[in-house]
Parts: sequence; C-alpha cells; structure tokens
Amino acid sequence: MSQKSERRGIRVDQSELLCTKGCGYYGNPAWQGFCSKCWREEYHHVRQKQIKEDWALAERLQREEEAAYASSQGAQSQPSLTPFSKFEEKKSNEKTRKVTTVKKFFSPSSRIGSKKAAPETAGKCVPSGRERHADTLLRDLREIFTPPWDLASPTEESHETKAPSPSISRQASIETDQVSRDFIDFLKSLHKPGREIHKQCRAFIETMATKEDHQSVEELSECVQDFYQNMSDRLLTHFKGSSERVERVMDQVEKYIMTRLYKNVFCPEITDDEKKDLAVQKRIRALHWVTIQMLCVPVDEEIPEVSDMVVKAITDIIEMDSKRVPRDKLACITKCSKDIFNAIKITRNEPASADDFLPTLIYIVLKANPPRLQSNIQYITRFCNPSRLMTGEDGYYFTNLCCAVAFIEKLDAQSLNLSPEDFERYMTGQASPRRQDPEGLSQVYQSLELLSGLGERQERVLDGARRLESDLIDWQDGVAREVQDILDKYPLEIRPPASAIDSDNVENDRLPPPLLPQVFAG
Amino acid sequence: MASRGSARPNGLGQTKICQFKLVLLGDMAVGKSSLVLRFVKGQFDEFQETTIGAAFLAQSVCLDDTTVKFEIWDTAGQERYHSLAPMYYRGAQAAIVVFDITKPETFERAKAWVKELQRQASPNIVIALAGNKSDLAERRMVEYEEAQTYAEDTGLLFMETSAKTAMNVNELFLAIAKKMPKTDTQNPTHAARHRGVNLHDAEAQSSRGCCGN
Repeated sequence: MSQKSERRGIRVDQSELLCTKGCGYYGNPAWQGFCSKCWREEYHHVRQKQIKEDWALAERLQREEEAAYASSQGAQSQPSLTPFSKFEEKKSNEKTRKVTTVKKFFSPSSRIGSKKAAPETAGKCVPSGRERHADTLLRDLREIFTPPWDLASPTEESHETKAPSPSISRQASIETDQVSRDFIDFLKSLHKPGREIHKQCRAFIETMATKEDHQSVEELSECVQDFYQNMSDRLLTHFKGSSERVERVMDQVEKYIMTRLYKNVFCPEITDDEKKDLAVQKRIRALHWVTIQMLCVPVDEEIPEVSDMVVKAITDIIEMDSKRVPRDKLACITKCSKDIFNAIKITRNEPASADDFLPTLIYIVLKANPPRLQSNIQYITRFCNPSRLMTGEDGYYFTNLCCAVAFIEKLDAQSLNLSPEDFERYMTGQASPRRQDPEGLSQVYQSLELLSGLGERQERVLDGARRLESDLIDWQDGVAREVQDILDKYPLEIRPPASAIDSDNVENDRLPPPLLPQVFAG
Repeated sequence: MASRGSARPNGLGQTKICQFKLVLLGDMAVGKSSLVLRFVKGQFDEFQETTIGAAFLAQSVCLDDTTVKFEIWDTAGQERYHSLAPMYYRGAQAAIVVFDITKPETFERAKAWVKELQRQASPNIVIALAGNKSDLAERRMVEYEEAQTYAEDTGLLFMETSAKTAMNVNELFLAIAKKMPKTDTQNPTHAARHRGVNLHDAEAQSSRGCCGN
C-alpha cells in the first residue's frame, strides 16, 4: 500500500527544494527556485536589464497603438482613463491587502499603490485613452525603478506595506501585460473590427471595475455572459455567420477579459466558495480508503504505462487551479480525461465508454484532491463562454467533472456496494478495507488474529492452573480433615503386650488336654 | 457502409449546418458505445486501433439541404450514477435510449429513462428507442411487437439495431436527423445561454444530501 502511493505521488527531491544558488536556505518556485534573499538580489540584476528592454518595448507599443488607433478614434475615450487605472491599482491593492491585513492597523498607507501612481499619471499631462495600455506598462516600470521609500509620502512607512510580495504581483502583472500584447497583436490581424473589439473590451473592463465592489458574483457573471453574447452576436453579423471565426475571436476576447478580471472574481470573498472548497477537500480526505475495486474502475495500476497515465491525469487536474482563463482550465480537464482514456485503453485494449470513464474520473479526483475544486468549477461555470460549456468535447468533460464532484459529495454505502456498517467504520477510521496488498497486510492481520488467539489460550491455561492450585489446596485440607475425623472417631488404644500365649486365657482348664504323640508300631 | 441514407458528400453548395447534442442513455453493457462507434467509425472491431475513447464523439449526417452534426454524449449506465444523468441530458436536443433485446430488465430500465426524459428534459427533445443486439435474435427476451407498441404509445422512434452487423445503425441516426427541427435558433450557443451547468441544482435535487465531511 505504501509502495503504491509512493509511486503515484509526485516525488520531489530534497535538493530540489533548496535555493538554486546554494545558500542552504529553501527556495520557492515562485522565485524561480531561489530563496527570498537570493531572489531579491538576482531579481534586482535581471530587472535592471529587463527594465531597459521593457522601456523600449513599452515605448514601441505605445507608438504602435497610437498609430493603430490614431486614424479611427478622436478624443472620445479620454474620460475613461481614471477608472481603468484605478482598476489596475485596485488589483495590486487586493494582493497586498490579503497579505498585510494586520499591517493595515499600523500604517494608513495600504492604498499606497494608488496614491503613488496618481501624481505620476497626472504628471504625464493626461494621456489620451488610446495610450493607456502602454502607459500602464510605463507606470509599472517606473514603480520598479523608484525605490519604494521614494514612492510614499515621507511620514508613511510605505516600504513596510509594499515589501511582502513584490515578485508575485510583478509576475502577475507581467503575465497580464503579455496577454494584452498578444491580444493587440491578434486584433491587428483583424484590421478594422479589431479596433472596435479592443474598444469594447476596454470599456467593459472599466464598467466591471466600477461594479465589482457592490455586486454579487452572480450579477458579475451575468454581465460577463451578456458581454460574450452581445459580442458574439455582433461578430456573427460581421463575419456573415462564420461561427468558426467568431469562436476564434471570442476565445481571445475571453482570454483578455478574464486574465484581467481573474483576481477579483475568482473565489471572491463575498461568496462561500472557499468554505465549499474546504468542505470538498475534507470530504475527499475522509474518503481516502475508497479502492479501485469499490468504484469498479477498469484500470490496472500494476501496468507501468497505466500507472504513468494515472499520475499524468492527476497532475493535469491539479494544474487546472494554476490557470487564469476559464478555457485554459477546461483544457486541463480535457487533458486529464484523455490520460484517463489512455489508461483504460492500455488496460482493456478497447476504447472506453462512459461506463468506464466516469468511475475512473471519480477515482482520479479522489486521488488528486485538486486544490480549490469548487471555486474552479464555479469560476468556469460563471465566466466561461457558454458555447464551450454546453457543447463540444471540453463541455462534455467538464460535465463529467461536475458529476464526479457531485457523486463524491453524496457518496454513501450503497454507491460503493458496501454495508452501511462497513461504510461507517471506514469513514470513522475504525477499519481499513485495503486488502489488495496480498502478503504484507493480510499477514499482519493473520498474525494479529493468531496473537489474540494465543492470548486467549494463555488466559485459559492460567485460569486452569489457578483452579488446579485451589483444588489441590482444598484436597489437602479435605484429606487432613478426614484423617482427623477418623482419628477422632477411633482413638488410638495401646494395649499391654501379651505375656504368653495362654496366659490370659481364662478358660484354659476347660480346654482338652493337648494331644499326646502316639507311636504306631509299624 | 451502404446505408448512410441520402448522405451526400459534405460541403457542396450552400448547405446549412445544424448542430445537435444527442445523449445516450441505457443500462450498463447494452452496447451504447458500440452503437455510436459503429455510427461514427463504421467498424465494430477494427475501431479499437484508433479510438481511445468512445464517451464523446461527433458525426455528421447529410440530408438534402442540411448537414446535421450530432455531438454524442455517452452516459454511465450503472445504477449508482443514475442521479447524475440530468447534468448530461440538460440542453440535449435528442436522446437515444438503448436496451438489450436479450435482457428484459434493460427494457424496463429503458422505459424508466424515457419517462424521466419526457418529464425532465427539454420539452421538444427527440427520443429514439434502440433495441440493440438484434444479431442475437435466438436469445431474444423482448419481443419486437412489445417494444414497437410501447414506442408508438409514447411517441418514440423505434428500431432494433445491431452494432455488430451494423443493421439499422445509420438508419437510426438518419431518422433522428430527419426529425430534428432545422431552424437557426437551434444554434447551441443560443440554446446554452442561461442553462449553464450548475452543481447546486443537482445538489438541491438530490434528497440525500451529503454530510459534509
């Protein structure tokens, strides 16, 4: 049993955990394997170099965007600048807020992110809306350039608040910028409609930024879905019904929008998603004893290829949590499902039907216990383009995952063909049903049985011995008593010894005279 | 393969494409996936080489002026997964309920499925009943007339099929394709709106909720 789980588990070598610079401290993958100290040093060097490159890139982007939109747009989008940058800043605030809630009490500068940026933007003498994206990038870069203590007003200990996660927030924003760049590149290939799409998307993100504080996540989901619907309707008329092209554009739109909204709408604090995540996680942990046999999973993990596939499937489903775009999350589920099909195919040598697939998926989910499972499902349901969810391969596998989770949540004795008593005992940990390990465990069980048998027998022997002892004592007493009784009853009389044979014979004279010897003449 | 009906090579002229979600229901091992594999891949045994999974497959049928694209969702037939079925047939425009003619209990189960679909699935769902394994007629336990009468009474399409010999497999899908409404509003994107998969619906439906640990 332990061997099995070891093979299935994700192995991490001790040395891989250490800082790659070899300082002896533990590293962190978020810091590219460095420890916090080395990362800061390294990061500083790299950043200096990258900043220069990024400056160049940002300026180029700005020029390009300007060139791209100069022809079509006038000054109409100018007023929207403030909400947009506010949105960006709010995001970084969100991040620091989570880490430094306590620190907020000491320093009133938790909103330092927005404060420090304001004069910067103002200093740029109100750039036109079309420059905004590049401007955000420039501003971000400036933040990095400027030492944190310069950003705050002199009285505030701003570096305290800023310190906790510079790398993380920076990385996220780099990712966001990368997505924006890709999006713009993609839209350029569409020429005129591209501009329109970009305008719409930006306007939408701005309106979302104003909404997300006072609206429920369902309302936000509704907004996003309406936006998808309107956008795809308009694209459909534009492309004259070529749904394929519409889908391609919609995928990009979804990627752009959701990368930006992710932080605020994934597992938001206003919902109980997190509570549900924990409940599912606890539930799956409590079901650790469920075996392949109970679920009738047609997968034989003794075959190395199959076991590899199972590991791959587990990795893929866990990876889902790391993606930001709903469609990327769906892709992880689909990849996991394909691995499952492969595992079944290798075991059974025939294509798997749903009869085989669903139990295996349930098994994989139980084995993987994917992080924030409910949050991910909810997020996909709320913010994925609905055409992806209800139809197509991705939609099918997503439905299966939902089914697997629903099954796990209400799983009972009957659904595993167990008696309610057994189920209860396994759930409470009083017993373990694992018997697939032929030697080890069963031998232990046998030995235990034997030992308890021996104990019982020894007890019996001891009992017998004790009884024998008391019996012996009783017997001794009894004999002594009997002897005493007899002795009492027949007291010992010692008579004087007889003097001669006839001495005490009173009737001697009445006896006939002794026979005299007679001689017969012969 | 002779029997793809009035099938015609795809893509000539302005053919309308309609896409439908078709869900497969039926007891375990009645041959749901074999039926679909036969329809999609054409072979019974040989398909094993190329296909890794038969749970989700897509295939088109060409009618006169329309291409009907079926997206086929297989469901797990085991009784223990019965309560999850609504998540699969939600939003489906067609369903094939399969039973095994050599096993009367699978026919009873099929009847239950039909009843459930007519009560809970989309109101204008097209339902077909398939009596599979008709090649095993000598072990038949469900009479053709019995199933036929039942199908007529409940307004279903009915055919006896054999995934093994390919009998009636394409015919069945063709018959369903003909019965599908071919308006543009059937675009799945539109149909899907406001019908997202919601776990909580399913949770609320089930009376035996979980204990949470």
